Amino acid sequence: MAAFNPTVFLLMVNGQVESALFPEFDDLYCKYCFVYGQDWAPTSGLEEGISQITSKSQDVQQTLIWNFPIDITFKSTNPYGWPQIVISVYGPDIFGNDVVRGYGAVHVPLIPGRHKRTIPMFVPESTSRLQKLTSWFMGRRPEYTDPKLVAHGEGRQVTRVRSQGFVTLLLNVVTKDMKKLGYDTNSLDMRTFSVADLSEGILK
Amino acid sequence: MAEVHVIGQIIGAKGFSESSLFCKWGIHTGGAWKLLSGIREGQTQVDTPQLGDMAYWAHPIDLHFATKGLQGWPRLHLQVWSQDSFGRCQLAGYGFCHVPSSPGTHSIECVTWRPLGGWREQLARAFVGGGPQLLHSDVVYSGADRYRLHTASAGTVYMELNLILRNFGRYGVEC
Repeated sequence: MAAFNPTVFLLMVNGQVESALFPEFDDLYCKYCFVYGQDWAPTSGLEEGISQITSKSQDVQQTLIWNFPIDITFKSTNPYGWPQIVISVYGPDIFGNDVVRGYGAVHVPLIPGRHKRTIPMFVPESTSRLQKLTSWFMGRRPEYTDPKLVAHGEGRQVTRVRSQGFVTLLLNVVTKDMKKLGYDTNSLDMRTFSVADLSEGILK
Repeated sequence: MAEVHVIGQIIGAKGFSESSLFCKWGIHTGGAWKLLSGIREGQTQVDTPQLGDMAYWAHPIDLHFATKGLQGWPRLHLQVWSQDSFGRCQLAGYGFCHVPSSPGTHSIECVTWRPLGGWREQLARAFVGGGPQLLHSDVVYSGADRYRLHTASAGTVYMELNLILRNFGRYGVEC
């Protein structure tokens, strides 16, 4: 069998965009896409997707359920540029126009296993009150020309945003040949908190 | 040479008295460390939270270091600022934390503090805004001249950092 001296390692991610919490909005759909560095390439699966439009549940929680599958495999020679999943959520405004309700991004988990990630969603804010009023009328809210901007750190220092919701992802991660290449990702300290713990009282 | 990958996010901050917050961050390392890829410092977006009181930045961090020694393990230092509706920025807190030294996923809560002036500065800060700032920001991550400062506690910054270590076993380092 080959691969006694592997030069690439594989990362397989599957899971779903499970649900969202947006107290002020309804009838939302989401898009996901992956952003990764130059040393990475997807080998199978879909890099992007658009979900169905969903309405809020009738119970106290008022969650929006998408249950939208994600399935992709990457190969790489270098952990730098580890893939991030970028989620954008859209919905209708009062006049029926399609406007953006939130952008969010998170790194695909690095440790093999099952992970639940709740990520905050934010939208760019208008610069002035007049622009806010005009954009409300015209249905053209401030949005990013490329949602992938959310996955990069540079150029964000001049943006003002408003965080107004959360999206929950369930991801299973499997890696191949990282140990053979000398990379050590396991640890004993597996204490993690999700954004859900930090925002108690809102998500409960 | 041993390599360290730091991959994660500065998630956000909570517990500050102001609400529209942004963060300037940087990583300081010793002489034996070399940054191979990634950006060593940055500034997040300004977030005004609508739900709850936590400001979310979700600012990605992806750094690749090579090192010849354990001294000078990377330290992440932060300055949290608030921005009001007029666009003026006011310091909310300074903080630092060491990048974790074991591989895996780590959830980090970084506490922050801000310098207090005399009663005049505190009164001015309450009415007009502004307030004392450090002249040399390396005091944030070094202990050298701290005894001169009188500070007040500020909020907490939440981060999730994943560490991948490479070839540390080859040099006999246990972590």
